[in-house]
Amino acid sequence: MQRTLAVLARSAWKGPFFVKLPEFRQAQTTGQPIKTTARSCTILPIFVGLKFLVHNGKDYIPVTITEEMVGHKLGEFSPTRKKFSFRKTKNK
Amino acid sequence: MVLHLLGVNLPENKIVRVALTYFYGIGHKTAQRICSKLSIHKTCKLHELSESQIQQISMELSNMKIETDLKREVINNIMHHRSIGTYKGKRHAMGYPVRGQRTKTNARTARRLNGRWIRKEGFST
Repeated sequence: MQRTLAVLARSAWKGPFFVKLPEFRQAQTTGQPIKTTARSCTILPIFVGLKFLVHNGKDYIPVTITEEMVGHKLGEFSPTRKKFSFRKTKNK
Repeated sequence: MVLHLLGVNLPENKIVRVALTYFYGIGHKTAQRICSKLSIHKTCKLHELSESQIQQISMELSNMKIETDLKREVINNIMHHRSIGTYKGKRHAMGYPVRGQRTKTNARTARRLNGRWIRKEGFST
């Protein structure tokens, strides 16, 4: 975890913000990806190795949690914006 | 005319407090703190310092994180984001502002600074 994140963090007594995931137990045993829209959920150490499908407003983006990701939010790994590119119009 | 201290050229005719800010990672606040710690008065210039005082300054500076150490830390922090694939890391690599600023106009600082060395190294981590 980065130092700046720790400095700018919320109060310690609150603990990290996370959302309860009902499929968590099942995912731990079977290795199924957890489909979630909780982008603001902090990645906890117990998430390491799990697969997530994180909503980006349109699709569910697959994210596999590694050890370095602990302390970040799930939403940081599923980009919400598409890169702009010109496309030819179909009906001329 | 020029004092060589820890790999940085400092102009000798400057006030010590000002000259110290020539280091990357030392601003006015930190320079002032160093001066007051070593009891160097406000208008003292660099060429008026004695040998032992200069040695004290370099002692003080060698304990701090400045210059290459600091630069490396900054790069490592960005590289951390880049390697795990966060939104921040992507914005850095593309050379856009990282913290949600507009990109329709402006964003000149980000275009100038962000991701420059990433592009230079060819996206190597």
